[in-house]
Amino acid sequence: MASLTIDHVGKDHGATRVLGDVSLTVADGELLVLVGPSGCGKSTLLRCIAGLEELSRGAIVMDGVDITRAEPRDRDIAMVFQSYALYPHLSVRDNLAFGLKMRKTAPGEIARRIGDAAEMLGLDALLDRRPAQLSGGQRQRVAMGRAVVRRPKVFLFDEPLSNLDAALRGQMRVELMRLHQRLGATMVYVTHDQVEAMTLADRIAVLSQGALMQVGPPAELYARPTNLFVARFLGTPEMNIVGAAAAQASGLVAALPDTVASVGVRAEDLHVAPGGVGAQVDVVEHLGPEALVHLRVEMIELTARVDARQVPRVGERITVAVDAARLHCFDAAGQRVEGRQATADSPKLGIGKP
Amino acid sequence: MKTLRIAAVHAILVLASAATLYPVLWVVKMALSPSQGFAMSPSPLPTKVTLQNFIDVVSTHDASGWLFGRQLFNSIVVAAAVTVVGVALACSAAYALSRFRFGGRTLTLRAFFLSQMFPGVVTSIPLYVLLDHLALLNRLAGLVLVYATTAIPFCVFMLKGYFDSLPRELEEAVLLDGGTRFDAFWRVALPLSRPALAVTALFCFLTAWNEFILAFTFMTDPRSWTLPVALQRYVGDYSTEWGHFAAGAILVSLPVMALFFALERHLVGGLTQGGVKG
Amino acid sequence: MIAPLVLATQLVVWHSYRADEQRAFEACVQEWNRAHHDVHVEALALPHDGYASKLEAAIPRGNGPDLFVGSHDALGDWARAGVVTPIEGLVPAGSLTQFLDGTVAPLRVGGHLYGLPLAFKTIVLFYRTDLIATPPANTDELMKLARATRAASPGHYALAYEAGDFFYHAAWLHGFGGHILDAHDRPALSSEPSVAALAFVRTMADEELLPSESTSVVATQLFNDGRAAMTIKGPWFLGDIAQGVPFGVAPLPVVSSTGQRAAPLVTVEALLLAARAHDPKAALAFGAWLAGPESARIRATRGRQTVAARAAWDDPEIAADPILAAFRTQLSSTVATANVPAMNQVWEPANEALRKVLRGAAEPRAALGAAERKILEALRPPPPPVRAMPYAFALALAGVGAAIWTLRRGRARLAAVGGPGHGAPWAYLAPAATAMLVLVFVPFVVGAGMSLFWHDAGHWTFIGLRNFTDILSSRDAPITDPLSFYFTLAVTALWTVANVTLHVVIGVTLALLLRDPMLRLRGVYRVLLIVPWAVPNYITALIWKGMFHRQFGAVNGILVALHLTPVAWFSRFWTSFTANVVTNVWLGFPFMMVVTLGALSRIPKELEEAAALDGASRWQRLRYVILPLLRPALLPSVLLGAIWTFNMFNIVFFVSGGEPDGATDILVSQAYRWAFTRGHRYGYAAAYAVIIFIILGVQTMLTQRRTEEAT
Ligand SMILES: Nc1ncnc2c1ncn2[C@@H]1O[C@H](COP(=O)(O)OP(=O)(O)O)[C@@H](O)[C@H]1O
Ligand SMILES: [Mg+2]
Repeated sequence: MASLTIDHVGKDHGATRVLGDVSLTVADGELLVLVGPSGCGKSTLLRCIAGLEELSRGAIVMDGVDITRAEPRDRDIAMVFQSYALYPHLSVRDNLAFGLKMRKTAPGEIARRIGDAAEMLGLDALLDRRPAQLSGGQRQRVAMGRAVVRRPKVFLFDEPLSNLDAALRGQMRVELMRLHQRLGATMVYVTHDQVEAMTLADRIAVLSQGALMQVGPPAELYARPTNLFVARFLGTPEMNIVGAAAAQASGLVAALPDTVASVGVRAEDLHVAPGGVGAQVDVVEHLGPEALVHLRVEMIELTARVDARQVPRVGERITVAVDAARLHCFDAAGQRVEGRQATADSPKLGIGKP
Repeated sequence: MKTLRIAAVHAILVLASAATLYPVLWVVKMALSPSQGFAMSPSPLPTKVTLQNFIDVVSTHDASGWLFGRQLFNSIVVAAAVTVVGVALACSAAYALSRFRFGGRTLTLRAFFLSQMFPGVVTSIPLYVLLDHLALLNRLAGLVLVYATTAIPFCVFMLKGYFDSLPRELEEAVLLDGGTRFDAFWRVALPLSRPALAVTALFCFLTAWNEFILAFTFMTDPRSWTLPVALQRYVGDYSTEWGHFAAGAILVSLPVMALFFALERHLVGGLTQGGVKG
Repeated sequence: MIAPLVLATQLVVWHSYRADEQRAFEACVQEWNRAHHDVHVEALALPHDGYASKLEAAIPRGNGPDLFVGSHDALGDWARAGVVTPIEGLVPAGSLTQFLDGTVAPLRVGGHLYGLPLAFKTIVLFYRTDLIATPPANTDELMKLARATRAASPGHYALAYEAGDFFYHAAWLHGFGGHILDAHDRPALSSEPSVAALAFVRTMADEELLPSESTSVVATQLFNDGRAAMTIKGPWFLGDIAQGVPFGVAPLPVVSSTGQRAAPLVTVEALLLAARAHDPKAALAFGAWLAGPESARIRATRGRQTVAARAAWDDPEIAADPILAAFRTQLSSTVATANVPAMNQVWEPANEALRKVLRGAAEPRAALGAAERKILEALRPPPPPVRAMPYAFALALAGVGAAIWTLRRGRARLAAVGGPGHGAPWAYLAPAATAMLVLVFVPFVVGAGMSLFWHDAGHWTFIGLRNFTDILSSRDAPITDPLSFYFTLAVTALWTVANVTLHVVIGVTLALLLRDPMLRLRGVYRVLLIVPWAVPNYITALIWKGMFHRQFGAVNGILVALHLTPVAWFSRFWTSFTANVVTNVWLGFPFMMVVTLGALSRIPKELEEAAALDGASRWQRLRYVILPLLRPALLPSVLLGAIWTFNMFNIVFFVSGGEPDGATDILVSQAYRWAFTRGHRYGYAAAYAVIIFIILGVQTMLTQRRTEEAT
């Protein structure tokens, strides 16, 4: 087990800056999820940690030791690739044994560890097959097994579930969490899927265009996104963001301080309530226990999460209100303006009038 | 409609195969004919059949023993050694060119490519002097090195193209699994490149097996000749022993054809990625 | 046997004899070894092709034999290049009289004697005794007989010989009183007698008294079939005469207008003392014995050699042999081929003139005049030596500049990569790079360096860029002449484009056909179609040369079967060029086919299916989906194929041999000719090679740049 410190790391490919200046600490035994849209540099950061890419700037420290210049094989890090990267010419057993053989582990020990891992991941029946003879889910499991048998200090996962179908992904997600609990290992998990991030993470780090946006526990990121990007990126459906002027003009919110350029409201914080602002229902998405109602207040499009028993009909005119305490305010640069400051002199905020 | 199309395709292919085989059958005819004259008639079928030419060629002797056997042995040794040396040098060079980014990489690639462009007519004399200085004249080892360097550029392009097409993650997995670069090369890249290696090997073998001019220039003792040189002994300044020449030509070509047929599947797969990406 | 061998002097003799001659020669050596325990001789039989260049490479570097069998006509070059060494003082002066008249003189160069004559090779008249009782005594009788034969049975000839070969023609030339070289070794081809001789042969050709394509093979075949009553051949013909053909041998007829016997060229085959022979005395002791009567008897009886030792002819068995006797009679009417440098330059222009006239493409006088001018041009004195300093300085400057540029760029890259292990790539590259550097790059630099020199018989003179200016200003021939650089360049370009296009078209077509999943026997076809790849290309070339033979080739056989007119493939440019192209296409399409099959297998099926669903027809799918995807995959192979084709020496050299008149030669085969058949002008050949290299280099760079831009 180990802790990992990423210290002002930057990476350029020629003239393109892929990573700007990333600093991050992963605690011992923590599962940190690195999330961000495609192409934001997640894989690059992961590969820098693994030693597969050379840094342009900064340092990487593991357990207090600077490993920036260390060869990948000397880092004792395991990685599960998006494409799994199973050795096609080796059986599952040999795939699992490969890393151990490389490290000159005793044959008895190798067999034992493979046995353990196979049992843990349900690979017993597959050990003598070649990767080509496995399904996607099975390959995924083998790829994880290959990391697990090594008992490395740090596990890295690069979008390991993105090639699986939805059902399997859910199942594997649970399995991964179980694995983490059981091994208690330090893990860095990369995904572009915020649901995966929210469910798995001890902490989430949001990356955008090579820069770190916010790091923290999922709940905190959800409740207090520090900028517009994080606010939008986390949570389904996406947070409703409305320009401050339009929001005030429509009566959705009361007067705002000048520093606030836009406000955000999550769907569950937008209530269908009598005495609110008048709105027109456009589309209704039924999700079972609840429904998403897409509606318009004047020209502003909003989404509200509504109890399934109170779903309005399409075309109906209703009134909606915002929970003022749950309002997120952002300045012109997209940075969060703390609610207390923003709302201090406007107690009526959030309560619309008909 | 469909059957008609298939029939047409068969017709074209049969015609093409016939055109391909026709000259070959003709050599067979000359080899099987009792005369040493140049058999010339449109029919590729022999009228009189005898194996005498083959027997003559195979049973060539000199004072020290069975010369044909000796030369066959030389050919096999040289071709096998060229295959091993050529493949070894080419695949390590191709790997470096495919996997590393370093100063001089493009230059090296260019140099390999350019080496294909200088006609050998003029280099054979300097090469002779060079081999003499290196004490490699009249040695099979010298021949092996010369052939290997002849074959390397093409092999490098082919293998580099193939390596380029292999996913890098596999080798990165090796690095993370505690292997060295060399492990990645040796345990993953090479085993996965078997089709390309087979083609490379075939190409090296072919280069060595069929060459005549350099072999004769560098080798003096008939006991150290390869088969093509021995074959050339049937071609004289005034007349040629066509029957013997044809029989010899068939004997020389047979192993290569056998190899081609054996590796035919690999050939398609192996050349697949054979791109020359500069 | 054992003890003497240890102490014995070891001698090595090289020769290129085959069959009976080889057996007789080896029997002689054995005989010597049995009788002489102090000098042991080992005989090595080498291929004739490349024999001379092997001697020239090996002997000056001390890797050669002590003695070798060679013909006297190359002796001039060898003497000047230091391949052979004089033997005066090593043989008793009086002993030379034991050889037939005319067999010793050709072995002298610049007043020195270089070897002992073993045999002489000349040509005589062979006739079928079942067709004519006595051969014609003079040319008038010959013409009468020829006309009568033609009138009696078309397709039959009185005489068939290699009329288009100047070696044979020289017999008439001398008979008419002409000379190849004058007293000052200058060409004398356009003299009146020489014109008359050519006119005589022209008349025979015009009246169709000679077969239309007069090559050695045709003459042999016609003679054996009884369709030619006579032929002119050397002693080697004895092995080619079919069993049961009754024949006689006679000297060539007398030329009626001059009263002189037609006098063919004679080549003296001699045992020559190699420079650096380690025991010349012992070597000559063996040499004297080998040339002497005892060995000569063996060589004459067993090897059917026309030996030079006079005493052997007194042997009853040899004296009784009418065939050998005819050769000896002919010997008194022969002219030894001159062994001066000028002679080397005669063959090609003289052959060209001869064939042109026989084809009816030129008049004798004009053709011979042109040939003579060409010979004189080739014999021009070497350009004046040039001071090498300025060149060395420019080269050094360029080298330093290039080094600095490379280093600076290299350093920038290295810095960009940085980090651990950037030394690693060189560890992987080093073995191949070292081998290439030593065995490819060094010879390349030396070869390229040679282009700045003038070579004459082993001596090199620095002449700067003169070779290049001569080539580029087309000094050897007018621009429209087949020998001019620009003509050859155009032919080479055409050759490359034609071949590569056909390779690609045929290769891709077959690959597309073979891809059809409905097709059965795919594997069989694939295997059959790949066969040409496996055949060594010099064998391919020889086969196809035979296939295109005018009279007996299978191609014309097929044409006749289809009721088409047979074609004299090698007598006109376009047909000759076509023959080359057909051969090279046969040889090269399997490579493109296999590459295409590979590329096709990588195109996802879905793409085509999607196009099919979009309503694209079979043709449209091919045109708009498959071919565009194939293009980038095939491009590298096409590029490499183009380079190989551009330098495809074997096919051009062996199939058309440049016929007609060098018109189908490409740049490499021209370079080869300059290096090996036109008086060893290595510097000139090297300049050709450098130009080829530059053309290909520039062309490839342009292509690559264009494709990089396109992608
Ligand atoms: N070798 C390279 N050269 C130039 N740009 C690259 C290279 N590799 C990656 N990039 C760029 O770096 C950015 C980050 O890539 P990556 O880390 O793979 O993103 P992701 O977050 O989707 O994993 C992308 O915009 C990509 O185009
Ligand atoms: Mg990624």
